[in-house]
Amino acid sequence: MIQLTIDGQEITVPAGTMIVDAAAKLGIDIPIYCYHQALGPLGACRMCLVEVEKMPKLATACTTAVSEGMVVRSKGPAVDKGRRGVLEFLLINHPLDCPVCDKGGECYLQDYTFEYGPGNGRFQEPKIQKLKDGPINEFVLVDQERCVLCQRCVRFMGEYVGEGQLLLEGRGVETVVTTVDHVPATSQFTGNVIDLCPVGALLSAPYHHKGRPWNIEREESVCPHCPVGCTSKVTAREGRVIRMEGRPIPDREWGWLCDRGRFGYDFGYHPDRLLTSWVQGVETSAAMATRQVGQWIQETINQDGGSAVGVIMGGTHTTEEAYQVQRFAREVIGTENLAISRSEAGYLPRALNGTFDDIKKADMVLLLGSDPYDAVPVVHLKLRERWLRYSALKVIGIGPTRLTRDTLPGQDVITAPEQSAAVMALALATQRPEDANVKTLLQALGDFSPSGVSPETLTELGVQLLGAEHLVSLWDGMDPAMGMVLAVLAELREKPTPILPTFGPANWRGWERAGFSAHFEDLTRILEHARDGIIKTLLVFGADLMNEYPDRALVQAAFDRLDHVVVEGVQPPEDSPQVDALLPGATWAEVYGTYINMEARLQVAMASVQPPGQARPVKTYVNTWAHILSHPLAWEEDWEPFDEDSGELLPLHPAPLHVTPLKVPAAIDGDMILITGALIWEMSEPSEILLPRIPALPGRINPEDAKNLGLDIHGGRMRVSQGETSLVTGMSLDPRVPKGLLWLPQRMPGVNTLQPGPIVLSLAKEEVTA
Amino acid sequence: MTQHYLLRNRDVQDIDQFDVYEANGGYAAMKQAFETFKPEELVAMVKKSGLRGRGGAGFPTGMKWGFLPKDGRSRYLVVNSDEAEPGTFKDRELIEENPHQLIEGIIISSYATEASEAYIYCRGEFRRGAEQLKRAVKEAYDHGYLGTNILGTGFSLELKVYRGAGAYICGEESALLESLEGKRGNPRLKPPFPAVAGLYGGPTVVNNVETICNLPPLVTYGAEWYTSMGTDKSPGLKIMSVSGRVKRPGNYEIPLGTPLRTLIEEYAGGLLPGHTVKAVIPGGSSVPLLMPDQLDTPLDYESIVKAGSMLGSGGCIVLDEQVCIVGATARLVKFYREESCGKCTPCREGTYWMTDVLDRVEMGKGEPRDLEVLADVADNIAGKCFCPLGDASLGVLVSALKHFRHEFEAHVAEHTCPMGARLYDTVNH
Ligand SMILES: Cc1cc2nc3c(=O)[nH]c(=O)nc-3n(C[C@H](O)[C@H](O)[C@H](O)COP(=O)(O)O)c2cc1C
Ligand code: SF4
Ligand code: SF4
Ligand code: SF4
Ligand code: FES
Repeated sequence: MIQLTIDGQEITVPAGTMIVDAAAKLGIDIPIYCYHQALGPLGACRMCLVEVEKMPKLATACTTAVSEGMVVRSKGPAVDKGRRGVLEFLLINHPLDCPVCDKGGECYLQDYTFEYGPGNGRFQEPKIQKLKDGPINEFVLVDQERCVLCQRCVRFMGEYVGEGQLLLEGRGVETVVTTVDHVPATSQFTGNVIDLCPVGALLSAPYHHKGRPWNIEREESVCPHCPVGCTSKVTAREGRVIRMEGRPIPDREWGWLCDRGRFGYDFGYHPDRLLTSWVQGVETSAAMATRQVGQWIQETINQDGGSAVGVIMGGTHTTEEAYQVQRFAREVIGTENLAISRSEAGYLPRALNGTFDDIKKADMVLLLGSDPYDAVPVVHLKLRERWLRYSALKVIGIGPTRLTRDTLPGQDVITAPEQSAAVMALALATQRPEDANVKTLLQALGDFSPSGVSPETLTELGVQLLGAEHLVSLWDGMDPAMGMVLAVLAELREKPTPILPTFGPANWRGWERAGFSAHFEDLTRILEHARDGIIKTLLVFGADLMNEYPDRALVQAAFDRLDHVVVEGVQPPEDSPQVDALLPGATWAEVYGTYINMEARLQVAMASVQPPGQARPVKTYVNTWAHILSHPLAWEEDWEPFDEDSGELLPLHPAPLHVTPLKVPAAIDGDMILITGALIWEMSEPSEILLPRIPALPGRINPEDAKNLGLDIHGGRMRVSQGETSLVTGMSLDPRVPKGLLWLPQRMPGVNTLQPGPIVLSLAKEEVTA
Repeated sequence: MTQHYLLRNRDVQDIDQFDVYEANGGYAAMKQAFETFKPEELVAMVKKSGLRGRGGAGFPTGMKWGFLPKDGRSRYLVVNSDEAEPGTFKDRELIEENPHQLIEGIIISSYATEASEAYIYCRGEFRRGAEQLKRAVKEAYDHGYLGTNILGTGFSLELKVYRGAGAYICGEESALLESLEGKRGNPRLKPPFPAVAGLYGGPTVVNNVETICNLPPLVTYGAEWYTSMGTDKSPGLKIMSVSGRVKRPGNYEIPLGTPLRTLIEEYAGGLLPGHTVKAVIPGGSSVPLLMPDQLDTPLDYESIVKAGSMLGSGGCIVLDEQVCIVGATARLVKFYREESCGKCTPCREGTYWMTDVLDRVEMGKGEPRDLEVLADVADNIAGKCFCPLGDASLGVLVSALKHFRHEFEAHVAEHTCPMGARLYDTVNH
């Protein structure tokens, strides 16, 4: 630890701390542009000049590490003049755009000029002219004249994200920020440069000229689109959400968002948004529809009892909403058939759940079927940051495709589809053959040997699994058997073995906490009971079962058989005549509530706007029905379902370990085999802003297969057939997918009409000629 | 006149040819170094000789070599041949006229620093120099002086010639390394210094061409020979490039400590008839002016600093009475405005601002307050930039404002150049 004095106050900080950070700890604000803790020092802008005793010149507080006994002054004539000088320099070529600049009022150049800047300008020469409102991509605009060349954007993309798609071009005062080869940036993380840019040089295209600081409101929120639950701020104007920004939380979150989350905030304004109520295909008043549904529920209870009603939770609902529905279901209807809409069969007990803090300590990361870049993008950044800071980090992908990337290098153990759990168990057995749990796992495997994974690889993997100090696993939740192997692994290892579930829905842990079952089997049972006529009425909240449940045929059969299918939500389910009532629901940014993310962390999202049209919060529906059923529910004022505060983790409950033998993975025959995985762009809530970036070629096949099938090297459309069913979709070439496999996003509409397994691929002729 | 050591090309015709170089004692020092010195003995000898870097800063070469951490990582030697400082043209002659001398110096230096890879970063505009170097490097390889296991010593060295793309800042060692790595030529944050984390993060020595060319004679004649010339703190020889209205502009190899007057009047033959010295920029465009009454200043690192300027890269620009100081200053500041890499605010914006004001003043469109603004802008640049280029842009300007304020004022008052010098319209080009 190092002791120093800043502006007369003493402070002790770890060696290597920069003056600017030490000062911040004392509440002393040193102005900065180029410095950012996530990016490290650069020393370019010279805004952070301070006086350090015994140093001949002013020092930059962001590049000068503290030293014992150092005496720093962040104020005084020399510092003031230095700052004034730097600001004056920044202003000489800065356009007089403040009145029309989106950043006006949120701009460091304005703020610092007001605080430290020169009163008036002495510069009489012509200003350099540069490109204004040029594109970085569909989402981000660059105004090169406003740029202070702090390089935050370039360094973030190049060094931090590892996708160097932005660069500085030109020299000296002619330097500009632009994209490589002037082609649009395609990274998933481009929007962060808007937040990082200290001035109005990088702008959100969809927010452009839409708001000014005095006519907008910004509320704390959480991104609802994937289980990362990134902390965010929502900007609203005149009752409409017009922007989402990242929200840093000291020592926890930098405030990064992925582009899908940042720019997908407009789903509430999609032309298809459900704004009115429908009963049996007829638009009706909200009161009529609600009453009708209430009567259906009453009828079902009267005829078959409360347990003939099933309730399924999904969408962007908050934990509180799920709690309200759950109370209604249990207390009023009297049913225990409550499940969460799931796309994957696996489950993770809270006890095994890790946090993002674990990533910061990890020496080894397992990617179990999960490619974080695709599934939970901001977690990819967290992993990458760990790798940048700890270059010895081992990353091991285990799954049917390569899961490591150029931006997160490591090694991959490519397994045949559905063999990953067995591979993991066999790897453990190489080290702990005598362990009782391991023995149970292997009991039924006999002499099964996994395809393509050598005994040496198994041993090496086993050594690494048991040797790692802090082993973080990211699990896609596809195969429940893997969940069991992970539980055994955690039991076996004496060192930390945190697991981060990358599967959705985003708030599943919250709904579970509110009383819904997150077990896939319960969902399946409800659907089967509906198909078999045991459950008569199904209430679906927010979920798009037709696309979310991995077997569309079962959902279809259930819907066909049910007396009443009631769907509350934001989007009408496409083409489902069996839905008897459609009720418009309020959604994210329209209700206050809690989300619980993949760390099991509670985070509060404020309401920014009123629900549009007839859309109303879940509680309104529930209360009306409770009245109809003559069992009104009492709610406490300002009711909070949790003891925990926002930002805290759910309490831990020990989970008993229950090990059953792994089944021998079924041999899958076929020249082409379908596998599916998560892709953030394909997860619900359609957005018009995102449209240009939704991958046109979402399917992925090996380039050699593509060649043999006659597909263009740039990809193209293909027909995927399985028995009677087929689907036409765009295909791209991806060497990370082994030969003989086709990868499709599991939540892409129509994919669940096919089942993982053998398929036939052919060029989509009709598309080719069209 | 003194004997030539580094500038032997002046005396031996075709010394750029391998055979001629070798016939005239070339590569003997290399062999002698291999045979009679261990690497650390060579480093000790260089330390003892007091040789200081000739790239501008005058940092003791032996000490720099001593900073290399002994951690087993493989080391790089990078030779700075980016010479782009206006008024300096010594490295150019060294590489164009006697490339084998540099290569021999590189082999000796690499052997001494235990570097196994060396690069010559050659200024992009030096086409002939680069061609000469490439040819000579190939000849050295062909004769087994480069490559693996040189002359059976077990010492191996790969040497490559890399051409810059035309940026003065790439002469600054860390920007040079960035450029050599194929990145944008911006200077790096120091520490870490190149000795610890240089090329591709490896331990790296960066030395100027002239510095390295000192090695063959040093090995041949020894450290005592070197310290027998020059001053205590500035021993040895330095090549000075003399330009301006002198009779014999060109490069001169002088013992350090030689008075400026001797360089101008004896070596360079004095000014052309009818001309007198108005001021001298003694060490390349980045250093303050010396006035005619300072001509007796000895040309060594310490004495020039005492006189208010710097020896720098040794580019001695003689300004005579016909030179418009405002014009000359405007030209030089404009050079820095063009060459500022743009990384840091004061240099990038300040040189732009000063250039515009100076242009206006030179063209007779200045106002009295422009001179205050100039001085204050310079003060806001001074000591606040990321790398020395920003300060370098001020050397001439600040001293010109001090010594020749009347000329600036006359331009403003008379709305034209009182000397009738040609006006250049260079605003923003
Ligand atoms: C703007 C700038 C330009 C420079 N240009 C050169 C150059 O062209 N050649 C050179 O040898 N050193 C140049 N230097 C100095 C180098 O940074 C470095 O100090 C030198 O190459 C070290 O070699 P030496 O110790 O042999 O002098 C420059 C420095 C600055 C700040
Ligand atoms: S665009 Fe913004 S973030 Fe990027 S360099 Fe310019 S000011 Fe900095
Ligand atoms: S990573 Fe997930 S939670 Fe974070 S911004 Fe993207 S979609 Fe939203
Ligand atoms: S002083 Fe700054 S702008 Fe100028 S060359 Fe150095 S780093 Fe670049
Ligand atoms: S913040 Fe310190 S130099 Fe930019």
